[in-house]
Amino acid sequence: MNPLRRPAWSPYVAGALLGIVIACSMALWGHRLSGAGAWQHLSGYLGRILVPDSLYWRAIVPTGITWDVWVIVGGVLGAFAASSLAGTFRIRTMPDRQWTDVFGPSRTKRFILAFLGSMLTEIAGGIAGGCTASLAVSGGAALVPAAFLFMAGMFAGGIPTAWLIYRRR
Amino acid sequence: MDVLKPLLVGFCFGWLLQRAGLSRYDRIVNIFRLRDFAVMQFMLSALVVGALVLQLLAALGLAGAYPLPVTYVWGVLFGGVVFGAGMALSGFCPGTVAAGAGEGRLDYLIPGFLGLYVGAVIFGWLYPLVMPRLVALGNFGPITLAEALGVRPWLVTLIAWELVLIGFYWLERGVRRRA
Repeated sequence: MNPLRRPAWSPYVAGALLGIVIACSMALWGHRLSGAGAWQHLSGYLGRILVPDSLYWRAIVPTGITWDVWVIVGGVLGAFAASSLAGTFRIRTMPDRQWTDVFGPSRTKRFILAFLGSMLTEIAGGIAGGCTASLAVSGGAALVPAAFLFMAGMFAGGIPTAWLIYRRR
Repeated sequence: MDVLKPLLVGFCFGWLLQRAGLSRYDRIVNIFRLRDFAVMQFMLSALVVGALVLQLLAALGLAGAYPLPVTYVWGVLFGGVVFGAGMALSGFCPGTVAAGAGEGRLDYLIPGFLGLYVGAVIFGWLYPLVMPRLVALGNFGPITLAEALGVRPWLVTLIAWELVLIGFYWLERGVRRRA
């Protein structure tokens, strides 16, 4: 079968290909791959109105349609192309499996918890100085100690949370 | 600014996350239940291949400067813990939200993106209150392991490859034994 249409790629192969992309992005173009950065660069549009004298939005973080924002736009397009070619694109509002086993079928509940969870990751990414892509993987590829500390922290936070959610099964 | 390069980088990112199945709730949460290791297989493959290609590009004289993350021990660890909790709750991280949105998931596109935006605004508001003090704790600056250990980057890359390959071998053996 044509690999461009095969719906599931080995995570080893997909990861290795991403490693090449990340190395090129860093070494050739000077940008770590980031998922969280885009939202920091967009936050100023609202933040500057809410806190007009904020040093953060005036001097620490740029506001604008930056490299990281275009990466996210590309990310949505890439996943759209990949799922369309594989025939797995489908509009849906709930996870395909497992979620309803523990949280029930409520869409409101899914949307509230998805909002809270993603808000937490963005705040935490700011605190740690990066996210899974920009700190753990890009920082890891540059062999920076913070990357490995961050991954250890991710498991130290994720394992007990998953245990609390799934302990009754 | 050149828009095509980041669009291309992002396109590959979204494509590869989607095909590796990391745009799925169960895949992300099950790494924390130690039941599905695709997240680690994907991340560590990207990490070691990325390290090797970075070294190669540097050896060929093709590598320019890129910003290194700063190692401030307590802030990075604390951020990591909260990040992991958020991932286990929602089943995604800031990158995979984009991939999930692209394959038609409205729980990624609407509350996912909104949560990231609100989180970024809250972080900006918290920044002056928290970050200057947190970043000062155990701060080693933008160092690499090679600099910290006083060895060549190639040696650290080699050791990372060995550890990751041993880990993958052990993982695959365990998976086969269980099946």
